[in-house]
Amino acid sequence: MNLFRSEEHAKRWNGYDPAMADALKPVAEWADIFSNPFFRQRGRADYISWTRSDDGAATFTLLRSQLPRPIEATR
Amino acid sequence: MADLELLDRGYSAIMAEVVDRGRAPHFTELAADLGIGLEEGRQLIHDLVAMTPGWVHPGTDYVASFPPFNLQPTHYSVTIDGQPGWYAQCGLEATAIRWLVPGKTARIEAPCLCCGEPMVLEMCDEEILAVDPEPMVGYTSAEIGGSADSRPFR
Repeated sequence: MNLFRSEEHAKRWNGYDPAMADALKPVAEWADIFSNPFFRQRGRADYISWTRSDDGAATFTLLRSQLPRPIEATR
Repeated sequence: MADLELLDRGYSAIMAEVVDRGRAPHFTELAADLGIGLEEGRQLIHDLVAMTPGWVHPGTDYVASFPPFNLQPTHYSVTIDGQPGWYAQCGLEATAIRWLVPGKTARIEAPCLCCGEPMVLEMCDEEILAVDPEPMVGYTSAEIGGSADSRPFR
């Protein structure tokens, strides 16, 4: 879960896996994913309870749908 | 496993300390803060890092990672309104630090793992203030939320 200077730099990284090519995104797109309430709500006093509420569960489901998965796992 | 009310109080107390001081409380401090026994405090630390998901340093009760922050230094150095002292758990979680410091500028500095050249990302609330270099990307080689032993490196 790293940042790179460009797409080319990420692909040259020795940890790059083509099966996770969908996980290569501009930092602004990752910033948008990490704007999900699951991350925004971390400062609330009842955060753990909130993650287990209907609202929290719906948020987490939305987040999971936005996260890239390995190519073989999506078949 | 602690009850929800205690989990809420514990999570909030740890996060407040991390945001304010860049360190996590020891379980003895957490126990005193919450008015619970030492063993209950120690177990609470382990319960919370397992669900956040963070981790303790292996074989210890010391919180090493509490997302979006890392207490053990990483290559993602963070300054908040110009004050240094924090580290991000990973490059992607770094983009979520701003939600814990509303109205303040979170600046992330890191070397590129490919070439070692510097990168800078600045964010404040909804705005991305600076991306240098501009084509900066994020990448993970494993599923987010995957196995605990791969979390720092994927």
